[in-house]
Amino acid sequence: MSLWKMAASNFKRSMREYFALIVALAFAVFVFFNFQNMVYSESMKVLQNMRKDYIDTVIEAASIVFGIFVFFFIWYATNVFLNQRKKEIGIYTFLGLDNMKIGKLYAIEATCIALASVGLGIVTGIGFSKLFQMAVLKLSDISVNVEFSFSIPAILITAGLFFLFFGIMIGKGYVSIVRSSVRELLFSAREAEMKREHPFVKGGKIVLGVGILGSGYFCAMKTGGINSLQYALAAVILVIAGTYFLFSGVIPLLIRRLTKNKHFLYQKQRTLWVNQLSYRIKKNYRTYAMVTILMICSVTVLAMAIAMKSRYENVVHFRQTYTYQINSIDPLNEEEIAEGISQENEIVYDNKIPYLVLDEYGVVPYSAVKEAANRADLAFPYEELKEDEAIQLSHIIFLSLNLTQDESVRIGETQYQILNKDETAYLGTLQEQVDFYMINDTVYDNLKLNNTEWYLYNYKIKDATNAEASRPYLDTLVNEQDGMHRTGYSVALPENKEETWCKIFYALCIFMFATLILASASIIFMKLNNDAWADKEQYETLKKIGIAKTNLAKSIKWEICFAYYCPFVLMVITSWFSVKALGNVMKQNLIFVNIVSTAVIFALFTLICIESVHVFRKKVL
Amino acid sequence: MEKIMEVRNLRKSFGKKEYETLVLKDVSLEISKGDFIAVMGPSGAGKTTLLNLLSTLDKPSSGQLILDGEDITKVDNKRLSAIRRDKIGFIFQDYNLLDGMTLQDNIALPLSLNGVKGKVVLEKVQKMADLFDLNAHLLKYPYQLSGGQKQRGASARALITEPKILFADEPTGALDSKSSKDLLKSFLSANEMGKATILMVTHDAYTASYAKQVYFLADGQIQCRLHQKGSPKEFYEEILNLLASMGGERA
Repeated sequence: MSLWKMAASNFKRSMREYFALIVALAFAVFVFFNFQNMVYSESMKVLQNMRKDYIDTVIEAASIVFGIFVFFFIWYATNVFLNQRKKEIGIYTFLGLDNMKIGKLYAIEATCIALASVGLGIVTGIGFSKLFQMAVLKLSDISVNVEFSFSIPAILITAGLFFLFFGIMIGKGYVSIVRSSVRELLFSAREAEMKREHPFVKGGKIVLGVGILGSGYFCAMKTGGINSLQYALAAVILVIAGTYFLFSGVIPLLIRRLTKNKHFLYQKQRTLWVNQLSYRIKKNYRTYAMVTILMICSVTVLAMAIAMKSRYENVVHFRQTYTYQINSIDPLNEEEIAEGISQENEIVYDNKIPYLVLDEYGVVPYSAVKEAANRADLAFPYEELKEDEAIQLSHIIFLSLNLTQDESVRIGETQYQILNKDETAYLGTLQEQVDFYMINDTVYDNLKLNNTEWYLYNYKIKDATNAEASRPYLDTLVNEQDGMHRTGYSVALPENKEETWCKIFYALCIFMFATLILASASIIFMKLNNDAWADKEQYETLKKIGIAKTNLAKSIKWEICFAYYCPFVLMVITSWFSVKALGNVMKQNLIFVNIVSTAVIFALFTLICIESVHVFRKKVL
Repeated sequence: MEKIMEVRNLRKSFGKKEYETLVLKDVSLEISKGDFIAVMGPSGAGKTTLLNLLSTLDKPSSGQLILDGEDITKVDNKRLSAIRRDKIGFIFQDYNLLDGMTLQDNIALPLSLNGVKGKVVLEKVQKMADLFDLNAHLLKYPYQLSGGQKQRGASARALITEPKILFADEPTGALDSKSSKDLLKSFLSANEMGKATILMVTHDAYTASYAKQVYFLADGQIQCRLHQKGSPKEFYEEILNLLASMGGERA
């Protein structure tokens, strides 16, 4: 039989074993292809007038992040495959095959898996591309008609990238087999589980794990100030490193401690599953660490998406506070203007605020802002200001962290102490153009004596989509003398297409969250399938020596629950810090996002855990 | 003597119709409390099949197997599992200790999984360790033990539940002569001091000479039985002579 025939028949025979592996890899191909298809697909050209260049950049950035994940995922999957096959292909050496031939056999089988998963992923990707695009646009709240289309470049990029990654990993596996001895092929997995570490290395890992993770949490808590970005970056690196050391040091130590406490161990099914965990953790800690980090990333990505969406909505809300703003150096009759607007539109509220422009700053009197806020139903939590006090009236900048806050400001001859920086649109979009400060009424009146006063008339209409209808009337108010506008106006249109890309970003983050979580769960699922395969013989023995199936079934349940819920618990703790840090940076309370995403992951993990228990029991009992 | 097991007209065949092979033909025997029986015979005689049937790992084609007054050929799988747990101990040729736990935990496993209190389990493990001379190795993992230590460990695990009967399938098959001797001495102690009832299958005359009775199985039937009367050495010679006269294997 030729190597090709042998590999093909092995692959066919082991299809059931590899099914989970192929499906998980095909899913990764599916998502990556759809990301690419969104960039190249004809149907998405409708977004051209919504800054498609930005959207493409966002998708490409998401693809790169996803590509990095895919690289590690393929690395893991091919390692699982290699370990599953090692013992069997080791036996081939007894049949007279040399390492080169065994290596080739492995490479051919792994290539079959690569072809099957890339093929399956792209075909399903094409099949579901319209649905995927519709789902992204629906989540983005963008209504355009999507036609069924797929692009050849997207197929080529996806296939090229995956084959490149598979090529690297298969080559790595091939070299590892060629360099191995028969003994290593037959016993390598078992030896790795049994090899004992030097106490110094063990102790080092424990100290590093606790220390690094603790420092990561500390950095996460320190975000929010001027050094937020540095702290956030440090927190990310430290948490990833800390999680790795925690699973390689502290958690194995705790489990070992449990195995030594015989009064705890010799209860229920613990002798079996706690020992099993202790035995396996050495081989599996990288998987647990990877899954935990993936989950932390997914929750943080989701929190970021929601924070960005909320910020975008705040920007829109800020700009929509008033539909029309009339700015004049001469006092106007606001009731007359209201009447003019009312001819075409129903007014919900209106107000008027006088202001002064001093140097590069604008100042407004406390009482006028309070009155305006009251009329526009805006929150106004301030007490009467003292003479040297001011409130900065700022605005939301979509892509700025804006972490600094000045403590005082010099306007004209006076130094004011800044009590707060407020992003409520009391003066509407005027706050985006000039730095405004709300000051004491008497101080304002004194300043008014030597400066020109301006008047801002604001109107909010009921139907913003009809805003253009009042434009002819507003044009009649415009007063231009000697090239200078004495009276001018602005209209806030309902949607700013320029920033639609951030909605796509939001939708992609949701997909990323779902993908990373599914990937985490499928990695654990694959790991457990691998364990079940290795444990089959052991469970046969246990049945023969009379251990009741119910006891074995319970032990399996506990062992599998640990595999899912240990990374989950660590993710819950760590994501609380990461989301808190993100909330500090984005100046938002994201605790709700944290709770919801944790609940979603818990529900998904529970479902997959139940299925895992079922599959494991079916395999070994 | 209290009767532990009664085997009546036990038959076992494999395959169907023209491909049917009768491996055991109407085997009958009785095992009483404190017996130490070795079953010998050439390859293909049906030794392992008999052991698998007696230990409930396989079902006979016909016949009765009465263990502790209960016909175990007529009980369901759940009851069989309970019988294996409570009344039967089993030792394998290749030890089958669990790699992931210490020898102490391996020995404790059947009791701890059956809900026996930790303190009692520890006491019983200690007793077994004394009996099988394993005190120095309790905290070691199987990969740190020699074949003999592993097999003594497996025997301790099989006996810790104080089964009505212990079945051993070629227990010395993978051991050197020194380890075999140590293990057989432990069996003897368990049989004499603890009154453990043992039935082991072996093709080795020296191993069989430690038993009190030796049954010779050939062509699916018990051809003859030997009872130990003199010293183990004399019994060994007697077995060898019988094997020679039957044209069987010599160790």
